[in-house]
Amino acid sequence: MIPIMQTTEKASERLIRKNKKLSLKNPERNGKVIVYSAAFVTILATLAVTIFLTQQGLQSFYMSGINPLEFLTSTNWNPSGSNPSYGALAFIFGSLSVTVLSALIVAPFGIGAAIFMTEIAPSWGKKILQPVIEILVGIPSVVYGYLGLTVLVPFIRDHIGGSGYSLMAGVIVVSLMILPTVTTLSADAFNRLPNGLRSSSLALGATRWQTVRRVLLPTAMPGLLTAIILGMARAIGEALAIQMVIGNTTILPSSLLDPAATMTTIITLNMGHTTFNSAENNVLWTLGLLLLILSYGLVMLVRFLAARRKF
Amino acid sequence: MNRKFTDKLATATFTFFAMMIVVILTALLGYVLYMGVQQVSWDFLTSKSSTFRAGGGIQDQVFNSFYILLWTMVFTVPVGLAGGIYMAEYARDNKLTAMIRICIETLASMPSIVLGLFGLLVFVNAFDMGFSVLAGALTLTIFNLPIMIRTCENAMRSVPIQQKEAGMALGYTRWRTITTILLPSAFPSILTGIILSAGLVFGEAAALLYSAGMTSPNLDYGNWNPFSETSPLNIMRPAETLSVHIWKVNSEGIMPDIREIADGGAAVLVTAILIFNIGARMIGTWIHRKFTSK
Amino acid sequence: MVTVTLPEIRKAQPLPETKETALDIQELDIYYGDYHALQNVNLPIKKNAINALIGPSGCGKSTILRSINRMNDDVPGFRAEGTIQYDDVNLLHEEIDTVALRKEIGMVFQNPNPFPKSIAKNIMQPLKEHGLYSKQNLSKKVEENLKQVGLWEEVWDRLHMSAYSLSGGQKQRLCIARTLSIHPEVILLDEPASALDPIAMAKIEDLLLTLKESYTVLLVTHNLQQAARIADYTAFFYQGELVEYADTKQFFSNPKEKRSADYISGRFG
Repeated sequence: MIPIMQTTEKASERLIRKNKKLSLKNPERNGKVIVYSAAFVTILATLAVTIFLTQQGLQSFYMSGINPLEFLTSTNWNPSGSNPSYGALAFIFGSLSVTVLSALIVAPFGIGAAIFMTEIAPSWGKKILQPVIEILVGIPSVVYGYLGLTVLVPFIRDHIGGSGYSLMAGVIVVSLMILPTVTTLSADAFNRLPNGLRSSSLALGATRWQTVRRVLLPTAMPGLLTAIILGMARAIGEALAIQMVIGNTTILPSSLLDPAATMTTIITLNMGHTTFNSAENNVLWTLGLLLLILSYGLVMLVRFLAARRKF
Repeated sequence: MNRKFTDKLATATFTFFAMMIVVILTALLGYVLYMGVQQVSWDFLTSKSSTFRAGGGIQDQVFNSFYILLWTMVFTVPVGLAGGIYMAEYARDNKLTAMIRICIETLASMPSIVLGLFGLLVFVNAFDMGFSVLAGALTLTIFNLPIMIRTCENAMRSVPIQQKEAGMALGYTRWRTITTILLPSAFPSILTGIILSAGLVFGEAAALLYSAGMTSPNLDYGNWNPFSETSPLNIMRPAETLSVHIWKVNSEGIMPDIREIADGGAAVLVTAILIFNIGARMIGTWIHRKFTSK
Repeated sequence: MVTVTLPEIRKAQPLPETKETALDIQELDIYYGDYHALQNVNLPIKKNAINALIGPSGCGKSTILRSINRMNDDVPGFRAEGTIQYDDVNLLHEEIDTVALRKEIGMVFQNPNPFPKSIAKNIMQPLKEHGLYSKQNLSKKVEENLKQVGLWEEVWDRLHMSAYSLSGGQKQRLCIARTLSIHPEVILLDEPASALDPIAMAKIEDLLLTLKESYTVLLVTHNLQQAARIADYTAFFYQGELVEYADTKQFFSNPKEKRSADYISGRFG
């Protein structure tokens, strides 16, 4: 038998925490410092991005004297003219229409595919669809842009009309990009539902479609909306792929086949050729700030939905 | 009858949607790789790019992509790991934790072009780094940090609580329980997550346009002095990556063989991403098996 | 029956009634938030004996165990009031160094939880963690340790195999060995055999009988027969209350409380 290391010390001497000096060599303390620093860095990064971009984004109003209302509501974008004007409505409109239209296209596809993955063929979905979607998520946006440019734009030009560089091309490319995001998150929303929900509905004699429509879809709705909103967050921030196919005019498009521009594309194109702190440069930062605000809004919406989520 | 028909119709529709996704992916990858295979040659991979003439390669861009990825990971992995450990093991249910969670969500959904603007404003201009590998890597660190923290948090949380209890009951301190018991168990998932996020970083372009820049000096691969302007190792030099190059060639290239370079570059980029993806999965499974069997 | 099979212990130790108290639980109240999980528990845990805590699920018996080695400290809303006297300290005192405490009061869980490492490393890791080895004696220590739980003969030729390749009962004995490797005074066992087959269970029970010679054993079980077979003392809990505490023989043959009698005869629980 192993001898027990019996000491004559009292338990109080062994077990009461000594008033140890917080030495630099104490791994417990160092570990804590490390992980708290990382948490601090995360907050710092978020605050820094927010504060710096807000400060720089407001320059155009209080330094260059641009009227915020005109900036938001005018479509007259002519920063280099003798009487420059900075109406960004065309770009705001472009961003919003690309975002909303692609969300409308992707929602049925993504949710439908998610239903397939979770309700119709889970094993197949897990084995084949899941990896396919993960690979799609990983494909860089420039590759989508390149495909849009070499396949989609000529196709639209030859078969539908216009120059091919169009709002439509932008919408399609962005739809492809957010499809995997929406599908995965929708599948998660369905997977979170308790199994009892399915079996009790099926036990009542409902068909699978009836179960999906009357029970699963309504219950999963907050989760599905979250999926679509996060897809929209990705769409509104997408820059290069859209820029490559949308045509980049500064005029408000009147049809889907017209070229257009978005907030991101105008930033992408002009940030390089404008002088820092010039009015023309400052409005680009304002657009960046607007993007940031929109993305904050979407995050808040997601949090609101998460609070209402039952499963 | 009608009921059954609708059910069948719905099933068929959803199956069709799912098939579409598979078809889309296959078509995308097939097209990119098929077009690319005709352009990619050893010469293409190992020669310098050219602005005006035909026949340029992508050597420097490929190197820059990997080099910026390396530095991004050097910054992200420790912070992300520590952040994930914080979220999984230290975070109490309080305001600070809620705040960090909001920060992670916000950072994760920030448009990468916005992060690029921040990089331009703070790293390039305010810290006077100029368009550089360092500025690019720091910008991508912000891009990658939320992904990394989430990955590590989930990996730590997926270690069975029994393992943690075993450590605690054996008189391990919290930190020792984390480092000697939880981390080794979480390691396969963490590694998989790191490689997957590396794929995203490798392909990212919008955040780099105005942080790492759209040019590259004439790199001399024999020059290993990290302070020399032409050394590939210099982190204060501008560095156009492969993704940025593909974008630039497509949208403002003036060389005669734009299409060939775009085809080849996209194929190389997609191949690299596929390797990251499949590699992550394989390494994850392999390590997991090695840990639990034997 | 215990005293008959182990006469030398009887010679060395005084009668059970007069055994020294290793842990004295006094007026212990435990809350999870508003829920009053344990109410005014007074229970002496006897040294060098098997002390069994029995009762239906949710009666608070595991909570006591996890309060003694302070494993519940991190549970949100957890609060313990009262005294768990151990030598000259109250283990509930906030200045207690929980790390040192858990070295001295080891714990074995319901589901065997060996580390996902080799059999040998499962023993070596805690030894290394607490600096209880030298290069020369490490493998010797592993051997002694595994012999202590009767595992050496079964695994000596595959010490470098994963601990996950062991059977459930072997895993649990490995976990007990791992707990013993750092020389605790008290061993807390939370239904250690409930996930095992009868043969593996019998081995664990035999092991516990040998362990009580050198350790204080506190065993939570919902298996009445197990308590009757091996425990020296039995405490019966019901709905957060200590209903009865007595010498095992007496408890099972002549319970004082009606609820104990009902429980023993299987009328509830």
